[in-house]
Amino acid sequence: MQKILSVEHLEKYYGNKGNVTKAVDDVSFSLDKGEFIAIMGASGSGKTTLLNCISTIDTATAGHILINGQDITSLNSKKLARFRRDELGFIFQDFSLLDTLTAFENIALALSINNTPAGEIDDKVKGVAHQLMIDDILEKYPYQMSGGQKQRVAAARAIVTNPSLILADEPTGALDSKSARMLLESFEFLNKNLSATILMVTHDSFTASYCQRVLFLKDGKIFNEIDRGSDSRKQLFGRIIEVLSLLGGDNANVL
Amino acid sequence: MFYKLALKNARKSMKDYTIFFLTVAFGVCLFYMFNSLDAQTAMMQLNKSKYSMMQQLTKIISYISVFVAVILGFLIIYANRFLIKRRKKELGLYMTLGMERGKISRLLNLEMFLIALLALAAGLVAGVFLSQGLSVLTAKMFQTNLTSFRFVFSAGACRKTLLYFGIMFLIVLIFNAASVSRLKLIDLLTAGKKNETLKIRKLWISVVGFIAAVVCLVTAYVLIIQNGMMSLDWKFKSSIILGIAGTFLFFFSLSGFLLRSVQSNKRVYYKGLNMFILRQFNSKINTTFVSISIICLMLLITISTLSSGIGTASAIAQNINGLTPYDVSLSRYAKDTGSLQNTDMAEKLKSDGVNLSKYASDYVETNYYTLGVKFANLPFTEKEIADINQNDKMLIKDFKNSHINAITLSNCNHLAKMQGKKELVLKGNQFAIVGTIAKMEAPMNRFLQNGLTLSINWKKFQPVEKQVISMGLVVGDSSTDYAVLPDDAVKGCPVVTQVLCMNYKHGVTDSTFIKLLDSIYSKDAKGKTTPAYDSQVTKQQIIDESAGISITSSYVAIYVSLVFLIAGAAILALQQLSESSDNAERYSLLRKLGTDEKMLSHALFTQIGLYFLLPLLLAIVHSIVGISVVNHAIAYVGHYDITQSSVLTVLIFAVVYGGYFLATYFGSKGILRQKAENT
Repeated sequence: MQKILSVEHLEKYYGNKGNVTKAVDDVSFSLDKGEFIAIMGASGSGKTTLLNCISTIDTATAGHILINGQDITSLNSKKLARFRRDELGFIFQDFSLLDTLTAFENIALALSINNTPAGEIDDKVKGVAHQLMIDDILEKYPYQMSGGQKQRVAAARAIVTNPSLILADEPTGALDSKSARMLLESFEFLNKNLSATILMVTHDSFTASYCQRVLFLKDGKIFNEIDRGSDSRKQLFGRIIEVLSLLGGDNANVL
Repeated sequence: MFYKLALKNARKSMKDYTIFFLTVAFGVCLFYMFNSLDAQTAMMQLNKSKYSMMQQLTKIISYISVFVAVILGFLIIYANRFLIKRRKKELGLYMTLGMERGKISRLLNLEMFLIALLALAAGLVAGVFLSQGLSVLTAKMFQTNLTSFRFVFSAGACRKTLLYFGIMFLIVLIFNAASVSRLKLIDLLTAGKKNETLKIRKLWISVVGFIAAVVCLVTAYVLIIQNGMMSLDWKFKSSIILGIAGTFLFFFSLSGFLLRSVQSNKRVYYKGLNMFILRQFNSKINTTFVSISIICLMLLITISTLSSGIGTASAIAQNINGLTPYDVSLSRYAKDTGSLQNTDMAEKLKSDGVNLSKYASDYVETNYYTLGVKFANLPFTEKEIADINQNDKMLIKDFKNSHINAITLSNCNHLAKMQGKKELVLKGNQFAIVGTIAKMEAPMNRFLQNGLTLSINWKKFQPVEKQVISMGLVVGDSSTDYAVLPDDAVKGCPVVTQVLCMNYKHGVTDSTFIKLLDSIYSKDAKGKTTPAYDSQVTKQQIIDESAGISITSSYVAIYVSLVFLIAGAAILALQQLSESSDNAERYSLLRKLGTDEKMLSHALFTQIGLYFLLPLLLAIVHSIVGISVVNHAIAYVGHYDITQSSVLTVLIFAVVYGGYFLATYFGSKGILRQKAENT
């Protein structure tokens, strides 16, 4: 299997000498092509910091991050921007759609930034929209859509450029359970049928149970890891709950 | 603690205050400069007529200053509203911490007071220095010498500036208190999250609106060209109304139309961030088209007053030579329609104690005979007149109604000699036309070429030359063309005017000769005598007067147009800056999606550039039409070269408008960067 992402001894410290906070403390893991994994953890466990480092929005203090064989910790800011638009797709908790653009244009924007020839844009956008079942809302503006529709548009925007890795930060955080389920099924579809590699950060067990692998972070370190193997989604959900109770605290998030 | 907070806030938000600061400082500077004109004259050598010109200018400027103060007052209120909007979150925090509204508005006011004080000081200092330059310019335009250059500080202008701006700030304080008392905590805290309701117009509305706008504007242009700005008839009025309506419609429909037309070209639309830029522009201009239209009209006023105001000045200055062929003209006019009694003016003067030979190097008395013929009576059909260039119609109308006046050949040649011009030679049945008005030349020449003949006392006269001979006959008169006839041809014709033209002997000036005349003929002179003439005009008076008119028209034009320019640019800048915090979210999203900085800067530049450029472009189109019409009207007075004033206008625009644009661009960029660092 081709390795898409490998994180080696990643460290991210905040603060100064006298008072250091280790947000990410010596984390190592890797991700193969076509994998769909979730990173779980309580608030303050460092999962967002980890995601920011991987997504090149933040810089690591020490360690290396290799995406598609390229060490992003050694890139300058100009190359980082190019890397970001060529290799990564983003999905945010708050959808982050441009309110002045229609759904179609929001998706097309990702292609425009990538300098995709104008002739190809129409087909690509419509193709992705069809797969995510948002054909009928393409001409709508974000304020005319429901949360679930917005997030699926955001997912379409993330996948349309065919990135090596899709990073999703609490994608279901702002959705009701029905919309969340639909979105996650879309993710599964993208993962299985288009072999998209997805890294998702969440603190919701239900969301995490859609993945093949779940990493648990606690105080900046990897606390545990579950591989779904041949388990059903329900069984995986049970195992996640077990680990969470082991993790202690943060019970509010369990159910 | 309270003062510390205000001081810190002011320092921290200095960037936000940049535009406010600039605008107030600019305003103060201009205000001081033009109001200190009075004091600047102190170091100039001014004679009586120049001095009274200056007094009048000061008076006009002081009236305009009230108007300027009102505009600047509104501008400051607007700027202040922007600042409050920008800091809603911060104010919300103060409120949640339990600060009372009264205290918040006091805090805001204190901050503003600090900034305003600084701007006032900066503006005054700049004004004091720049006004020195202005006085050099004034002296140059008056063609007088600075007695001795010294640094002038006008306490009066300073007091006036402080008073006017003090009142403005006071009004702003009241507005501030009112707007703070209306603020709601919930709105303040959620200000950042509030979605602006998007107004997307239907395609057909944009298209119909745009076509209507173009039709309105074209009709307005055609009407104003036909009207020629010569009379306030229905054409003029409807042109103005259509022009304003067209401008509003244009900006109402422009962005929609632009968006749709670019959308139809996918290659351009999907290129880089074009899509984003257009949408940004579209969403913004839909909510602000009213203010954009007003700004466009303000820019139009700026451009046209600047270029035509200065243009008039230079037209007058150029026309001076034609107007001042001699040093003095003394004129007598016929009362009513009767003939003037033919008396020797020089003799009369001599008997009153003015021996002309003592003062004049040369002089001649000219009789003006009226021929009792109008140009309209000349054998021309209406059709032939209609064929003459459309633009000259107004002139022809005046022309047709005026009587032809004539002078004798010997008089004419004497006058020519005094000017150092070639003498005329006429045969017994020939005449010539002399005159100085540039605009009259073309139609008059056409008349002559079409075989104009004059019949006086049943004798026919042919033109000696087929064109007008350019020669001034009287000081300061450029009203009509005159016919020159052989001496015996005019016998028996009534004399309507008698003019004595003279040139001074070396060393004689107005202050010797005119003073002498005044001492004899002025109303309170001892042993009052009836004057030998009805009016007197001297070369010096004409020069002074035209310098005065030049200065007045160009200073008023510069003053008003600069204020309008600053106001328009500042409003645009503030609108863009107040959007920047909203835009920051969008731009940071683009950044997250992997757009590189160059692309982002380019997008921001284009977005703000479009916003600044579009009203300017329409204003330029408007003013090209307007100025070309005005040029035609000014051509009555004399020809002038538009390039000089255009260059000046462009220069002023580049500095002020360009300056505001750059300040806005860098300000927005700063806000975006600040946001990026925070996330």
